[in-house]
Amino acid sequence: MTLLDFARGPALEWSLIIFVAGSLWRLVGALLVRRKADLSDPRSHSTLAGGIRTVFTRMWPRKEFYSGTLFGVIAGYALHIGLVIVVFLFTPHILFIDSMFGISWPGISNNLVMFAGAITVAALVALLIRRITTPLLKTISNADDYISWVMTLLPVLTGMMAFAHIGGPYQTVLAIHILTVEAMLIWFPFGKLFHAVLWIPSRAQMGAAMQRRGVKA
Amino acid sequence: MTINMEIFQQFAEQLPHLGEHAQPPQMTDAARVETARETFVRKLDGRMAVDLESCIHCGHCASACHFYVGTEDPKYAPIRKLDLLKRVYRREISPLRWLHRLYTDDITVKDLQEWQELVYDSCTECGRCSMVCPMGINIAGMVNVMRQGMARAGMMPAELMAMEQEQGGHDSLFGVGPEQMKGAIAKLQEAGVDIPLDKHEADVLVTTSVIDIILFTDGLIATARIMNHLGLDWTLRSDGYEAANFGLLSGCERVQKIASEKIVLAARACGAKTVIIPECGHAYPSMRWEAANEHGGKLPFEVLAISEFLGREVKAGRLKLNTLGRDRKVTYHDPCKLARHSGTIEEPRWVLDALGVDFREVDSGRELNWCCGGGAGVFLINSASELRQQAFQVKMKQVEKTGADSVVTACGSCRLNFMNGSMRSNWDKGIESLVELVAEALPTH
Repeated sequence: MTLLDFARGPALEWSLIIFVAGSLWRLVGALLVRRKADLSDPRSHSTLAGGIRTVFTRMWPRKEFYSGTLFGVIAGYALHIGLVIVVFLFTPHILFIDSMFGISWPGISNNLVMFAGAITVAALVALLIRRITTPLLKTISNADDYISWVMTLLPVLTGMMAFAHIGGPYQTVLAIHILTVEAMLIWFPFGKLFHAVLWIPSRAQMGAAMQRRGVKA
Repeated sequence: MTINMEIFQQFAEQLPHLGEHAQPPQMTDAARVETARETFVRKLDGRMAVDLESCIHCGHCASACHFYVGTEDPKYAPIRKLDLLKRVYRREISPLRWLHRLYTDDITVKDLQEWQELVYDSCTECGRCSMVCPMGINIAGMVNVMRQGMARAGMMPAELMAMEQEQGGHDSLFGVGPEQMKGAIAKLQEAGVDIPLDKHEADVLVTTSVIDIILFTDGLIATARIMNHLGLDWTLRSDGYEAANFGLLSGCERVQKIASEKIVLAARACGAKTVIIPECGHAYPSMRWEAANEHGGKLPFEVLAISEFLGREVKAGRLKLNTLGRDRKVTYHDPCKLARHSGTIEEPRWVLDALGVDFREVDSGRELNWCCGGGAGVFLINSASELRQQAFQVKMKQVEKTGADSVVTACGSCRLNFMNGSMRSNWDKGIESLVELVAEALPTH
C-alpha cells in the first residue's frame, strides 16, 4: 500500500469516524448537561426569536466595540472566507466530495483558489504573531490554540504545495496533504476548532437569555 | 437635592474597618478545595457547559472590561477569571473529561487564594464582556458561580463576609436592623414625611436599603413623596424592607435566600401586588430574576425597580412633572444590573425626558454602558480600592465626553462609587439620583 493509498483508504475512513463520532459525543454531551428551569417572570416570551437574532448579530461587533476587536474580526473573516473558498470551491475538492457523497457544484478558477489560500495563510500568520506578541493573548492562550493553528495551516499549505508541484513528488505531497486534512479532522472534536459547531448554540442561548430579560444582545 | 458629603465621608471612613467584624470559618485547605469544587460541580449547568466549551481565546472580552482597560494587566481578562471553574468543568463534567483529566490540573487552595482578587476585587459582574464575546459566553454569570464556590470555601473578602454574616445572622446591615429602621422612619415621620409603616394590607410594598436609611435619606423621602403624590396604597414593612442582598453579592446562597424570602413573605403578608426596589442595582435582579428560583415558584407580585416604576407612571400619564429646565445638562449612567442585566433601559429616559433637562447620551450607553467599577460589592472591598479607581477613570472619560454637568443614576452603589471616585479625582461633576430629581419636579397640589 502506498502512502497515497493509505491516506485515501484507512486513514480517511478512521479520521472521518473519529470526526463524526467525536463531534457528536462532545456536542450531545455538552447539550445534555442538566438545565434548571428559570421560574422568574420573563419580560419577553420571544426567546426563540432572540436566540436566532443573536446568532446573526454576533457576526459583527457593535461599533462601540470596534477599537478592541477590529483586527481580530477582519483577520478572522479573511481566514474563514479563505478557508471556505479553498475547501469548497476548488474543483478537485468538489470532485472528491462528489466521489464520496454524490453531490457537486461548480468550482472557481484555480488562481482565485490559490489567492484565497494565500489570504488564509497570511491571516493565520497575522493572528499567530498577534497571539504570541500581545501580553493579553499570550496570557489566555494554551496548547489548544497552537495545535489548532497548526492543524488549520498544514492542510492549506500542503494543498498549495501540491497544486504548485513543489516540496517533492506530486503523489507524496498529495498524500501528505490528505493526511494533514485527516489530522485536522481527528483534532476537530477535541480542540477549539469545535467552535465551528458551537457558535450557533452558544450565541443562541445568550440571545434567548437576554431576550427573556428584555435586552438586545 | 444634594448629598451631605460630611455624612458620606464619615461613612467612607468606617469602610476600612468593615472586615474586622468578619468571622472566617475554620476549615482545612483540603476542605476549602473540596467545598469549592463541590459547589462548582453543583452549580454548573447546561448553558455554562456550552459556554465553557466554546471559548476561542480571542481576548475580545478584555476590551470590554473596565478593569482590563483601566490597568491593561492581562490577568484581568474576563475569561481568565473563569479558569478554576473551567478546570473543574473539564475534569468533572465535560463530555471529554476522560481526556482532559490527563492534562488539566485540579484546583488548589493556592489557586483559590489567587482567584479571590479576580472574581471579587476585579469583577463587578457587569456583563459588558458578554456583549462583545463572538460566542456569546455569559462570563458574569459564571463569575457569580465562582463567587459561590469561594464563599462556601470561606475565601471571600472580609468586608463582604462581614456584611453577609451580619445580614444572615443578625438581620441587619451596618448595624441597622428592623428596630433601627423603625426608629429612622419615626424620625422622618416626625419631620413630616408621611411613610405608612407596617400596614397589614397594601397594594404596593416599597423596599429600601440600609444605604438609603443611613446615607441617602433624601432618596427614601423622595420615594415616599412620589408614592403619596400618586395616591397609592403603599407601605414599608419592618419585616421585609431591606432590598440589599449581601448573600448575592458575596456568593453566599443561604443568605441570598434568607434576604429575598423576607421580602417575599412581607409582600405576601400585606397582599402586595407590586414590590418596588429602591435605587440599588443588584437588589433588582436579586428580586426580579433570582428570588423566584430561590423561592421555588413564581412570585405572586410584580417586581419593579423604582426607575422602571417612575418611567411607567410618566409614560402612562399618571405622573406629571414640572420641568427642571434645559440649563441642567445631565447624562445618565445605566446601572449594569438594571440595564444590561434586566432591560430597564427606556424607563429612566422617559423620566429624564419628562423632566425637560438637557439630556446627553453617553457614547456607549444603554445595554453597552461602561460600569462605574463599584458594583457587586466591589465598592466595599478595601483591597480593590486602587483597581476601582483605575476602572473609574474609564467611566469619567465617558461622562466627560458628553459635556454634561452632572451624572444621574438609579443605583445607590453606583452613586457611592461615583462620589468616592469624584472625591479622589477632584472631579467636578454632580452625582444625582433619578428618584430625587423626580421628587424635586413634583407639582404642588
